[in-house]
Amino acid sequence: MGLFDGLREVLGIRAEADATRKADPEDLFGMSTAYVTMEAELGYESVGEAALCFSEVDSADFSDAVEEVHEILEVGAEETGTETEARTDDYGYSWVVLDDPDFEDLVTSLNFAADTLMERGYGSRLLAALFAFEKDNQYAYWVYSFRRGAYYPLVPKGTSDRDSSAEFKLESNLDGELDIEENKEYWYALLPSTAGRHPWE
Amino acid sequence: MKWKADWGLRGRMALTMFLLFALYIVFIGVLSQFASLFAIVLIMGSFSLAQFFFSDKITLWSMGAKKVSEEEYPDLHRTVGRLSQQADLPKPTVAVSDSRVPNAFATGRSQKSAAVCVTTGLLKTLDDDELEGVLAHELAHVKNRDVMVMTIASFLSTIAFLVVRWGWWFGGGDDDSPQVWVAILASLVVWILSFLLIRTLSRYREYAADRGGATITGKPAALASALMTIDSGMSKVPKEDFREQSEMNAFFIIPLKSDFIGKIFSTHPSTEARVERLRELERQM
Repeated sequence: MGLFDGLREVLGIRAEADATRKADPEDLFGMSTAYVTMEAELGYESVGEAALCFSEVDSADFSDAVEEVHEILEVGAEETGTETEARTDDYGYSWVVLDDPDFEDLVTSLNFAADTLMERGYGSRLLAALFAFEKDNQYAYWVYSFRRGAYYPLVPKGTSDRDSSAEFKLESNLDGELDIEENKEYWYALLPSTAGRHPWE
Repeated sequence: MKWKADWGLRGRMALTMFLLFALYIVFIGVLSQFASLFAIVLIMGSFSLAQFFFSDKITLWSMGAKKVSEEEYPDLHRTVGRLSQQADLPKPTVAVSDSRVPNAFATGRSQKSAAVCVTTGLLKTLDDDELEGVLAHELAHVKNRDVMVMTIASFLSTIAFLVVRWGWWFGGGDDDSPQVWVAILASLVVWILSFLLIRTLSRYREYAADRGGATITGKPAALASALMTIDSGMSKVPKEDFREQSEMNAFFIIPLKSDFIGKIFSTHPSTEARVERLRELERQM
């Protein structure tokens, strides 16, 4: 915590400043090589799905920006073959769900989507990008937090619990290859509403 | 999403803090003339420190609030989790208090020890968007460390009050020493002035938390509608529920109404004024 954060707290504007802080997409591309380690060394297969989660803003301009994201993805689909779908979960958060057997295309398309929102000035609304993997009929995710510019593992167990030991293994094995969020308090649990489904379903 | 910064609010907040600070400096100067009064300061200091460290537990306990698990209130937990993520805040403890009064408060001296509490009445009264707005307002209080700011701001005010109340006792018992009366009189002035300044500061912090909350959800209208819903819901609640909670007013999203509280004495701005400011944000979107 820096001096400026302290000053913002005193003036009562830290909440505002942090909620509107720009997205940090810096390390998103770490996944385009890390997935090889996931498959070759840890036995986690990519399920060919990734998703971008963002929080809505109550304005017409924002809806336009989301439309634009989908248009750009459709145009990009000719090149990448990535199929996309818009979803809203039970908590009013929006998802752009991407489907592509080619993992690197998945990362590229996701980055397109994130970039478009950032260019329209809504980078601060980007919460996370999730990359889905599977092992022994259990889903595991690498979550990229745009708010903090780092990855963390997420292995849901049912709808209100997580498999910490599996998460710990993922963290230890990919530390160094991915930029991992050190402070576990920021490993937000984006759990699915139905056991065994994806968080965006 | 960027709104125009509210420099008026920031300026007024800084000025209020400065005045409070200046007042306290003068007060310390006066107190330092009386060695025996420093005993009070020491005792109160340690008391205040303890209160600050246990404030989250004390507050939750006094409201009869219980920490609830993910299984008991899955939706509430998830909503708090997502909002925390947008606010860049570790997810706080979630607590629920069994009360018909629709209300919410946040406690905790830092981001790490924070807890957000809602009453069962609030969960019944508000729809999803409105509840989100209220929770975000509480998270903004946590981000802005309002518990700490208000604790520090009220510390010397409490001491001034104690000197007014017990000062004669510390005057060494001889009633002829006029100095003690000077100290008591000075403390009385400090107490009255600081009381007004603290209330003013508290109202500014509420405006700031409204702004912060609206930035987190991206829906100023939802918070405005929640404030109006709670405000009208208050009148439907039986009086006996109020009495036991009214000393908690400073913590609430909307304080419980008493029959007469002057504007300058209230800890919160009026709901109309808050809604008007949220409308302004809605227009800027």
